[in-house]
Amino acid sequence: MSTPAGAVVREPSLARDLIALTKPRIISLLLLTTLAPMFVAGSPSWTTILWTGIGGYLMAGGANAVNMYLDRDIDDMMVRTKLRPIPSGRMAARAVLAFGVAIATAATWLLAHFVNVLTAALALSGFYFYVFVYTRWLKRTTPQNIVLGGAAGAFPPLVGWAAVTGRVDLASLYLFLVIFYWTPPHFWALALLKQRDYGKAGVPMAPNIWGEHETIDQMLWYTLLLLGLTVLPVTFGVFGVFYLVSALVLGGILLQGVWQIRTLAARGESWIPAAWKVYKFSLLYLALLFVAMAIDRHF
Amino acid sequence: MPLPLPAILWLSIALVAISQVMILRSTVRAMRAAASAQAKRGVEWAYAIIPAIALMVVLAVTWQAARDYAVRGDLETRANATSAP
Repeated sequence: MSTPAGAVVREPSLARDLIALTKPRIISLLLLTTLAPMFVAGSPSWTTILWTGIGGYLMAGGANAVNMYLDRDIDDMMVRTKLRPIPSGRMAARAVLAFGVAIATAATWLLAHFVNVLTAALALSGFYFYVFVYTRWLKRTTPQNIVLGGAAGAFPPLVGWAAVTGRVDLASLYLFLVIFYWTPPHFWALALLKQRDYGKAGVPMAPNIWGEHETIDQMLWYTLLLLGLTVLPVTFGVFGVFYLVSALVLGGILLQGVWQIRTLAARGESWIPAAWKVYKFSLLYLALLFVAMAIDRHF
Repeated sequence: MPLPLPAILWLSIALVAISQVMILRSTVRAMRAAASAQAKRGVEWAYAIIPAIALMVVLAVTWQAARDYAVRGDLETRANATSAP
């Protein structure tokens, strides 16, 4: 199908909708933060990588599908989400719920059977945290929703680590914390840009409740905290010079971006392009940081 | 050249601790400005303080781990020095 402007738009199909329910673009980053820690933890076999990757995709995909089921009442109100399979009427809500639960159940079995029980338990904990703690409890009740909710997205490194070592330790906890403290500056950059959407849907995001200036201030402090936190594993021998330099450079760039938003907001100038830049760079930041971790341990 | 690990440790801990205090300060300021109900404020405060307490525990464990790592490094250096011809 083509639009008058010439852009190609794909025909909707059940297969495409099922894939869309899993939010594949988001999962690609989750998978990277699952697989890179496996190379930090040791030298995983190809089968462990494969099963952890498949199990991780299905578990995160299941959580995303159940999230779309639970948020079906507000997805219709936001431009960003109203083309999803449920609000657009292409799929029945119950079918989406059944799909999400089915693939999460399959993921639990796959991980427990082919990897280990701890890996399955951690992945399932991430699913429950995302569905019940974040989506059902925090998302619509507090402006700190994505602060605590960030823990849901921080489970993948624990899953990857446990797949290789069969345990969780201080180093893996740091990988969890990196994602936990990366989440506020990342999501609040988007929340600043989508304030009207979130306001319309009644989701109490920080910019809507606290105001832009307070949110930007907190983004800055979270970015500084993240910078300090990413350096700390070097002090007890987990990483070396390559990672240290990478963490400082990437953290410095992210900090500069957030500082730019703050400066522009303080001057009363438009910070929208700067916020987009921070949102996009924060995705690259996390990906490159985790790649740097894996490289540092093996070269 | 070996990394100045104690300096990196304390600078990072200071940065993390100061940032966390500033986050709590900012959260309290935001809650007051948002004029939320007293009960809701208690919950919001709990949401802010729980990660801060957990982080302080992690920093204490990190300090211990960094100390152990430094002691191990010292022992290895001494062992290498004594076994050298």
